[in-house]
Amino acid sequence: MHLQILNISKTFDTKVAVDKLSLEVPKGVIYGIIGPNGAGKTTTIRMVMNITRPDSGEILMDGKEVGPDLRNRVGYLPEERGLYKKMTLSEVMIYMGELKGQTARAVRDKMDPWLKRMDLQDYKLNKVEELSKGMQQKLQFITTIIHDPDIIILDEIFSGLDPLNIELIKDVLLELKRQGKTILFSTHVMEQAEKLCDSICMISRGKKVIDGRLSEVKARFGKNCVQIDIEGDGNFIASLSGVKGITEFNNYIELQLAEDADTNRILKDVAERVRVRRFDIVEPSLYNIFIDMAKVDPSEIVKPEGGTDA
Amino acid sequence: MHKFWVILKREYAQVVKKKSFIVGIVLTPALMAAFTIVPSMLARVQSSTTERLAVIDQSGLQMGSQLEEALKVYTLPDSDRPYYAIERVFTIDPEDTATFAAVQDSLRRLINSKDLKYFLVIKKDAYLADSNLYLVTNSENFRSIGRFERKLSDIVSSIRLEMSSINLPVDSVLSLTERIDLTVQDAKGESIPFQIKYFGALLFVMLIFGMSIGYGQMVMRSVIEEKNSRIMEVLISSVSPFQLMLGKILGLGAATFTQLVVWYVIGLGIYIMRGTLDIDPSIARIVFDPFIIISFILFMITGYLLFSTLFALVGSIVNSEKEAQNFVAPITLTMIVPVILGIHVVQEPNSTLSVVMSLIPVFTPTMMMMRVIFIAPSLTEYSLFSGIVGEAVLGFILVVLTIIGMTWLTSKIFRVGILMYGKRPTFPEIMKWIRY
Repeated sequence: MHLQILNISKTFDTKVAVDKLSLEVPKGVIYGIIGPNGAGKTTTIRMVMNITRPDSGEILMDGKEVGPDLRNRVGYLPEERGLYKKMTLSEVMIYMGELKGQTARAVRDKMDPWLKRMDLQDYKLNKVEELSKGMQQKLQFITTIIHDPDIIILDEIFSGLDPLNIELIKDVLLELKRQGKTILFSTHVMEQAEKLCDSICMISRGKKVIDGRLSEVKARFGKNCVQIDIEGDGNFIASLSGVKGITEFNNYIELQLAEDADTNRILKDVAERVRVRRFDIVEPSLYNIFIDMAKVDPSEIVKPEGGTDA
Repeated sequence: MHKFWVILKREYAQVVKKKSFIVGIVLTPALMAAFTIVPSMLARVQSSTTERLAVIDQSGLQMGSQLEEALKVYTLPDSDRPYYAIERVFTIDPEDTATFAAVQDSLRRLINSKDLKYFLVIKKDAYLADSNLYLVTNSENFRSIGRFERKLSDIVSSIRLEMSSINLPVDSVLSLTERIDLTVQDAKGESIPFQIKYFGALLFVMLIFGMSIGYGQMVMRSVIEEKNSRIMEVLISSVSPFQLMLGKILGLGAATFTQLVVWYVIGLGIYIMRGTLDIDPSIARIVFDPFIIISFILFMITGYLLFSTLFALVGSIVNSEKEAQNFVAPITLTMIVPVILGIHVVQEPNSTLSVVMSLIPVFTPTMMMMRVIFIAPSLTEYSLFSGIVGEAVLGFILVVLTIIGMTWLTSKIFRVGILMYGKRPTFPEIMKWIRY
C-alpha cells in the first residue's frame, strides 16, 4: 500500500505538534520516521491511523483518504503496549483479529505458525498476565499483523524490546516487506533505524528535517566523517584543524570534518599524542546527520549507544 | 460479523464467564430469601419455656390476682403448660414506700440476673391513669407485652364500669365497646397487605438500583482498564469510539439481562413449588401484574442505560478507579434519593411531590417503579393518557430522551477522553471536547 502524507499540520492548544509535514511511503518499503521525543512522531502516526485528524492537509492510502474503510488493511502497534491481562493468548488474537474484520476461524488457522515463530506456542491457552513483558510484546506484535494488513505501522518500534526480540521482529518485518507489505515505523533510536529501513524522514519539532532513501541521505553528506578508537585522553582532538566537532561514544569517537579536511594530517596529529587502535573514514551516522541538519542540542536525542529504549 | 457485535460479545463473555457471576446469580437470591424469610420466621417463633413474672399490686383492688387469672388462658405451643407463671403478687400498702422501694429493687436485680422476665407495677388508682401502670423488663417481646396490655385493659375497664353508675353486666359492656379492625381494600375490591407492596417495591427498586449501579460501574471499569493498558489506541484504530462505547454498554446490559432472567426463573420456580412455604398469595398480584412487569422491564433497561452511559463518561475522563470514586459517589447518591423519599412515595403515591419526583429523568426508573407497584394492582382501567399509566409513559419518554441526549454528549467526550492519559481534564477542557 502506498501512503502519502500531504502537508499535514496539527496544533494542540498553542503547541504545534506537526507543522506542514509531507512524506511519501511507496509500497513495499520499510520507512522510518526518526526524531527525538516530542518531535511529533506519535501525533503523525495517530493521524495516519485516523485516531486524530489533522487540522489541515491530507493523508492518502492508495490515493484514498484515510478513514473507517481502510481500518482493516492497517496493522498498528502503538507506542504504549498493553493487552487484556485476563484473556488467554488465543482469545486475544481472535478478538483483535475479529476487530479487523477476520473470522474467528481464519484467525485460528493463522495463529499457530505465528506463535511458533515468536516462540510462544506453549502458552496459547495461558492468560496474558502469565507472560513476561517481552513475551507480551511479541504477542502484541502478532495481533498487529494477524489480519494480514497491507500496511503495518509501528510507533516507537523498539521500545521495550530486548536485543534478541529486536532481531526476531526485524527478520519478520524484512520478510513482510518481501511479501510486498509497506512498513512505517517511528523511533528515536537512530542506530537501530539505520539498520532496518530503506527510507527515512527525520523530523524535529513537528517539521521535516530531511527525507529520502537512506543511501541518498547519507550520500548527500559525503564521507566526511571519521571514527577513531584511541588509548588515552582524546579531548585535544576537537581543536585539531579540519575537525568541526566530535561526538564521544563509549568505545570510539566520531569526528565531523570540514569539507577540505585532510584525514592524513588528522591521523598524524592524533598518532603523535596518543596510541590509535582504529581509524575509519565512514559515512556519517544518522545521529550526526540529524544533529547537523536539525541544529538541535544533542542532549535532546538519544545517542546510538543509548540502548534500545530511552 | 459487525465489529459492534465483536465488542458486545467480548464484554458479555468477560462477565458471564467469571466465577463471581455464577456465584452471585445463585447466592443473591439465597441471601435475599434468608433476609426476608428468616426474620418473619423468627418473629413467629414462640417461647418454649414458661415466662416468669412478678406483680407489685398497690391498687387495693386485687388487680394482680385478676391478671394472674386472666393470663392462664395462654399455654405454651404443643403443650398444656402455662405460658406465664406469676411467681408472686406483692400486695403493698401505697403509703409504705420503704417496702415498695425494697421490693422493687430486689425485683430489678432478679430481672438483671434473668431469674425473672418481667415485673409489673400496679400503683394506686391504676384504673384512672396509664402512668400508674408500668412493666419492667429487659426484653421487647411484642407478643407478651401485647397480651399484658389486652388483659390489663379488660381488668381496668371492668373496674371503671363497677365504679360508674351504669347498671349493666361487665361482659356485655365489653362486647359492646369492642374495637374493630379496619380492613383496607383497593378499588378492585381486594386487599394486598401494605408489607407485601412495600416489600415488592423495595425488591424491584433495589434491583433497578443495584443492577444499574453495579453493571454501570463495570462499564466504567472496562473503559478504565482499556485506557490504562493502552489497548484503547489499538481498539480505536479498529472501531469507532461510538461503536466501542455502545458495544460495552449493551454487552454488559446483556449480562444484566441474563442475571435477571435467571433470577426470575428461580423466583418463579420457588413460587410454583412453594408447597407448604408460607408465601402470601397477594405477592402473585404484584409479580404477575402485566403492567408492573412491563414497567419493570422498561425502567430496568432505561435505568441501566442512563447510568451506564454516565459511568462510561466517567471512565473516559479518569485515569484510575481511585480517581473515578470522586464521580461515583454523587452518581450513587442520585440513586439513593428515591430510597429516602420512598417513605413518602409509598404512603402518598399520588401526591404532587411523588408525581413530580417520578417525572425527573434521573429518578424516574426507581420512583416511577415504586409508584407503579403501589398503584397498579388496584387499577380497574388502564388509560394511556391519564393516571399512573399515562405518567409512566410520560416518564419513560422523558428518560428515553434523556438517554439519547446523554449518549450523544458522552460519545463526544468519550472519543477524546479515552486517548487522554495523565492529567485529569478540567471542566472547561471537557466542554471544549464536546465541540471538537
